[in-house]
Amino acid sequence: MIERSGLRIAAVSYDSQETLRHFAEKYHIRIPLLSDRDSAVIRSFGILNTNIAPGLRAHGVPHPVEYLIAPDGLVLRKYFVPNYQHRVAASSVALRESGVASEEAPAVTLRSGALTVVIGLSAARAFAGQEIGFFAKFALEPGWHVYGAPLPEGYATTSVTFDGPAIVHQSFELPTAAPIRTDFLGETVPAYSGSFQGLGSLLLRFPLDDGRIVLSGRVRFQQCSGTVCEAPETIPFELPLTLEPFMDAMRSK
Amino acid sequence: MANDIPEDLQEKAAIMREFGRLRAAGQPVPDELQARHVNATNDRYATGPEPGERIPYFSLPDQEGVPRSIANLAGPNGLLLVFYRSADW
Repeated sequence: MIERSGLRIAAVSYDSQETLRHFAEKYHIRIPLLSDRDSAVIRSFGILNTNIAPGLRAHGVPHPVEYLIAPDGLVLRKYFVPNYQHRVAASSVALRESGVASEEAPAVTLRSGALTVVIGLSAARAFAGQEIGFFAKFALEPGWHVYGAPLPEGYATTSVTFDGPAIVHQSFELPTAAPIRTDFLGETVPAYSGSFQGLGSLLLRFPLDDGRIVLSGRVRFQQCSGTVCEAPETIPFELPLTLEPFMDAMRSK
Repeated sequence: MANDIPEDLQEKAAIMREFGRLRAAGQPVPDELQARHVNATNDRYATGPEPGERIPYFSLPDQEGVPRSIANLAGPNGLLLVFYRSADW
């Protein structure tokens, strides 16, 4: 999927080439798995985990970090969660970098009055502990708007939030809203009209049992035209997500 | 030998060994030990080069033994380089 963004993926660990070959065969992995046996490259990036004493099996591992690197070697962006139990999913990177969600990723379409919202995940499948992405595409009929932030009291900001114990952290960002002047109150407030898209992330709990779960969420907004302002609305939605079983460690085959 | 290892690393090592011992034995890991293990491992979390900086040059063998560097890894828009802990355990 990420290849469609003109990107390639490679992964670095301190495992031997032999271990990586077995791992790639067992799980049908085709991306390059690079063997940094003495952790020299991990050190040169400055991400060696220095908490692990010599003699321990994990001595030499990095703090997990993902870099998006231009072909000339410049870092464009980096992705990490400051906790070794969590990783940013490649699907989340692809969604953020190119707006592309995985083909089979679930999405729902919600409609109310002049507003249509499509909310979808970056992928249909994920591992416990991963950070996955989601998008929310809003489309308003001409003459209507919904609100951004910050707002004076009495208006409802547009938001998308997820609920449930599977999510330990979430974020959602919309583009900067354009200020508009409301006719009836004479106030200037940030608002969206036409089509616009927000992107978010969901950090999944670690551990979680594998299998299919349903992520529930709600989109909140208040739609207004030049003459009518509807009451704030909250529309619930559900998106399915399949949690993959954890890969068995190779344990040196 | 153990005296060469700083005291805080020795404390962390004790936590990691106990955590590893329980896991290997298939025994439940108490919440408190789990939390201490996570904190000990995540301490001084370092994330390396910042956006706009250049990565250090590297050349590493892939799983087939082919030498790989940014020149033969990147796509037209670049490379997502993922550093992870281990495929072995």
